[in-house]
Amino acid sequence: MKKQLFANPDHCTGCNRCTLICAAMKEGVFQPDKGRLKINNFPLRGYSVPSICFQCPKANCLEACPTAALYRDPDGVVLVNQDLCTSCGACVGACTYGMVELGEDGTAFKCDLCGGDPACVKECLADALLFTQGDDELVRLKAAQMKCRTISGSPSEKRHVMADIIVKKARA
Amino acid sequence: MNLYVGKVLIINLSTATVSTEPLRLDWAKEYRGAWGLALRYYCHAVRPEVDPLSPENVIVLMAGPLGGTLVPLASRFCLVSKSPHTGTIFESNIGGAFGPELKFAGYDGIVIKGRAAAPVFLKIADDRVTLESAELLTGRGIFETEKILEAEIGSPDAKCLAIGPAAENLVTYSMIGSESYRQFGRGGTGALFGSKNLKGIVCRGTGAISVADMGRFLERINHYKNEDLLTEDNLWAKTDGTPILVEVTNEMGIHPTKNYTRGFNGRKEKLNSEAIQAAKIGDRACFACPMACGKFTRVNSAEIEGPEYETLCLAGSNCEINDLEAVIRFNRLCDDLGLDTMSCGSTISLAMEMTETGRHDFNLHFGQVDEYLKVIYEIATLSTERGRDLAMGVKKLAAKYGVDDLSMEVKGLEMPAYEPRGNYGMGIAYATSERGACHLRAFPIFTPDPFDITALVAEVVNAQNANGIKWSMGFCDFWGTMNTKIEADLLTVGLGEEVTAAELDLTGERIWNLSRLFNLRAGFTSADDRLPQKVMERPLEDGAQAGRVFSREDLTVAMDAYYSLRGWDEQGVPSQQKLVELGLDSLLKEDLS
Repeated sequence: MKKQLFANPDHCTGCNRCTLICAAMKEGVFQPDKGRLKINNFPLRGYSVPSICFQCPKANCLEACPTAALYRDPDGVVLVNQDLCTSCGACVGACTYGMVELGEDGTAFKCDLCGGDPACVKECLADALLFTQGDDELVRLKAAQMKCRTISGSPSEKRHVMADIIVKKARA
Repeated sequence: MNLYVGKVLIINLSTATVSTEPLRLDWAKEYRGAWGLALRYYCHAVRPEVDPLSPENVIVLMAGPLGGTLVPLASRFCLVSKSPHTGTIFESNIGGAFGPELKFAGYDGIVIKGRAAAPVFLKIADDRVTLESAELLTGRGIFETEKILEAEIGSPDAKCLAIGPAAENLVTYSMIGSESYRQFGRGGTGALFGSKNLKGIVCRGTGAISVADMGRFLERINHYKNEDLLTEDNLWAKTDGTPILVEVTNEMGIHPTKNYTRGFNGRKEKLNSEAIQAAKIGDRACFACPMACGKFTRVNSAEIEGPEYETLCLAGSNCEINDLEAVIRFNRLCDDLGLDTMSCGSTISLAMEMTETGRHDFNLHFGQVDEYLKVIYEIATLSTERGRDLAMGVKKLAAKYGVDDLSMEVKGLEMPAYEPRGNYGMGIAYATSERGACHLRAFPIFTPDPFDITALVAEVVNAQNANGIKWSMGFCDFWGTMNTKIEADLLTVGLGEEVTAAELDLTGERIWNLSRLFNLRAGFTSADDRLPQKVMERPLEDGAQAGRVFSREDLTVAMDAYYSLRGWDEQGVPSQQKLVELGLDSLLKEDLS
């Protein structure tokens, strides 16, 4: 089994070290808005929900791309070839989790798992982000998260729809 | 620009205008950020005699140079103004993520002037900054206000500063809240917003903060995080958070109990770290903090991030409310209505002692939960005579009823949860802080001999200077091993220009002296560097320091030594030589006159 990225919101403290290191590695600046993952904070309920790219086995973003700028590498990671990207935004609309966005140059950006050594995971001291083959519990957790799909709205709105569902269950 | 984002928002509420100015880089070099830089802006903007609640007063909010970066524990955000509670200049700082969000929107700070004709909120969406009507928000609590403000800006990722009814009613120990459970807690920050008809600020920022050399900056961050922060001296914050102090201060005999009558709470197990751990359902962090000292707790249906040590003691032990659920409910009400839990708890404990000793009957008794919870709403809304009385805070309440012998404050600020009769260092810290009795300027509780006045004066002076720069860098108190060498290294690598530890040491001292100059010009004198009568005359009961006082004579010795070590004259006025040394002589030619 290959390693996968898992998010366990029960452990997330909402600190955003993951989004900071992500943007620092990918963009060379501190800018959580450009992180390839996001943290949704619910301070009143004392809860936070990471939004991560699931590298979906059947990836809507990839299927929606008219120029094959999105492709899957041999490890199963969905990547963006910036040279082929026409900034049409079809992938952004297609992702039901809000995890593909357009950067300042207009091209799509998304999580590439840092080539198999994700920086976000190393930065998380709370064990809310894990890069592992996963046990039954993590696999179930991921499957439950992947059921929270949203078709319409901006990436931010889609992420919050999923996060809302998760926080309501966790803090029932 | 590196570390800083280079712009300051100027808001004039009287004329309903919004503008930006480039950051004063000359001031940024001398004062670095957050506290110091806000102080410098403030001293330029007002005259020291300004009435804190008048339109002429100004509020300066400022982020630190490392805020919004991956440097841990460095994103605290400062407010400087003149306190409506004490009449002194003061600084208050808040954790969470508002400061970083403001920098991502493109601003290092905000200067707020004037007074709006009707309630407004400030909306900052990157470079789109507007004042909007807050008529429909009037009277609402902080939790609901934040939710509405997020909807108004159309992003649940926005961060807010908001006030509740206590601040709208100008209660002088009301606060500004953010992310539900974080506050600019002390000194009446809320009333400052309230007096300006400013219900809140909502900010969404999507921009970036740059550094000179990202590779080296990340390497330095990792180094200090692993080799210095995540070490034994600091890890209590991760495992326990501030409730660990309940056992520590009880053991030392300095845990205020029954309105600062005793130094030990025999029922501390109800409120200590173990009790918090048993109620904990999650760990919560401020922006970029790997420690997550916030313990999210739930008892029955009451939940909160906290309670923190000061609340556990001042609203728990000191009111003899040895009931975690009741303290959580107290804390939540204060956080939502907008009251500082420390000043509020301390005022209630005074009213309890007054009631029980027959000085005045407020129907508030030690250990009695119902009225203790009921009175919070009365204070915030000024809806009863008792509420209006307690809304004055300890100093004015004591003056009204002639109970100065029971009131525990310095310069009008209610005393924190460390008994100065059992640690003279805390007494010296309280007597000399620019904002009155405060534990965040010097914290000498772990000193080898808590009664060695000479050593403690030196420790207090060093800590005040060190915290002057630490708060100006935006650092959190809980990186206890932080020093100016680390600060200088991070600034040097981040800015790409050399900054030395010696410069930063001087900056800390400059900030302390500038605050002193402001207070002297605002009418304070050495006579205000004092301690409460109860501390000086009534022996502490119970616990390891039972029988102790901090006598007038000892305090005089301490203040003489303090002024001398500071390079101040016998009246506590900084000498001309000291002003020249710190570069403050030239400031006085332009400002503070």
